[in-house]
Amino acid sequence: MTPALCFEWLIQTAVAFVSTIAFAIIFHTPKKQYAFGGLVGAFGWLIYIIYVHFTGDPVFASFFAALGLTYLGRIFSFLRRAPLPLFVTSGIFPIVPGAGIYYTGFHIFMNDNAAALATGLETIKIAIAIALGIGIVISLPRFFFTFRKASTEQKKG
Amino acid sequence: MAAGEKNTCSAAALSFKMGEFLLRNGAEIFRVQETMERVAHAFGVEEYDVYVLSNAIFANAVENGEHTQTKLKFVPGATPHLGRVDAINQLSREIVAGEYTVEEAYARLEEIKCIPYTKTVSMIISCGIGSACFSYLFGGSVFDALAALLCGFILEIFLRILDKRGASKFISNLSASALVALSAVLLYSLGLGQDLDKIIIGSIIRLVPGIALTTSIRDFLSGDYLSGTIRMIDAFLVGGCIAIGVGVVVMLYVLAGGVMIV
Repeated sequence: MTPALCFEWLIQTAVAFVSTIAFAIIFHTPKKQYAFGGLVGAFGWLIYIIYVHFTGDPVFASFFAALGLTYLGRIFSFLRRAPLPLFVTSGIFPIVPGAGIYYTGFHIFMNDNAAALATGLETIKIAIAIALGIGIVISLPRFFFTFRKASTEQKKG
Repeated sequence: MAAGEKNTCSAAALSFKMGEFLLRNGAEIFRVQETMERVAHAFGVEEYDVYVLSNAIFANAVENGEHTQTKLKFVPGATPHLGRVDAINQLSREIVAGEYTVEEAYARLEEIKCIPYTKTVSMIISCGIGSACFSYLFGGSVFDALAALLCGFILEIFLRILDKRGASKFISNLSASALVALSAVLLYSLGLGQDLDKIIIGSIIRLVPGIALTTSIRDFLSGDYLSGTIRMIDAFLVGGCIAIGVGVVVMLYVLAGGVMIV
């Protein structure tokens, strides 16, 4: 936990914030939600890099990142009275296994079957980890997110 | 709710239109179903049954005692527009709160239909910036990010052109990912960027099926297994297309004598 490392994480989080907003624009999110979508993406990426730094395991890192960012997304969804996909759709893009897809394709065409199988399997594992992470948070009852009595809310997450 | 409405202004038809519009703009199944039921209920439709699939709506309504409506509708998949989903969500909440008559809700729906897509220029710019940022996040240098920025511009321009021509999903994903890899290889050969992998990975993120993945998870969790499966297969096929499109170009590059270290 040197200062240089913290600085690196800070920069990475800022870049993730910008990239998530860029994708929010591509998916036609309303302008007033841009910053919140960006925060969700940045938070997810921060969890991811911290976990990878300490353990080096991208699958569980993706799982915890998905958990964290969906949790934040649901809080925003209640605070901002907007559907959850507005925040989560662009927010998961930093942890989506684009690199895995690329390396799988590369190894397949390089005829390196063992490596292709390994990267392909890891890509699928990451996709499932993200799915599980999002799924668990979505299934939580709403009082985890609103900080008030459920009966006063009329809204779907 | 007024009793003697015209056929064109019936509450059941309104809820049906809202559902179709939601589905067209990439909402999850449970949101479509819930919105339709809430709206119909708020306007006092006596009987209302609806079944939604990822590309079709089946609805049946009894309104004002005798008026029966049965609808079957095929809704082709379209580009997701989260802003419109948000607007319809807002509208349905206000309808449930009793702030709208059926006619006013129709007028508001027409307004929502006119919410424009983001301007092409800003989409191209944000695609470039997004690609550059991701290239940096995945370990690329500043120069790699610069190359990814250009690749992102090219990719989004190409996608806009394909969108106008209405190319099929598989062809557009295959060709777009091949184009991205090709432009990355060209920029790399010209000396921009130090790591070909990072440039390509940053630029293909735009194509990766993130929306299909998240939506399919929500469909699964709300019990819509069929729609969830359809979208999951969609996500995996698109992922496969990207892998193939990129893989072919990189293979040709290596065969042509390019140096590639993984």
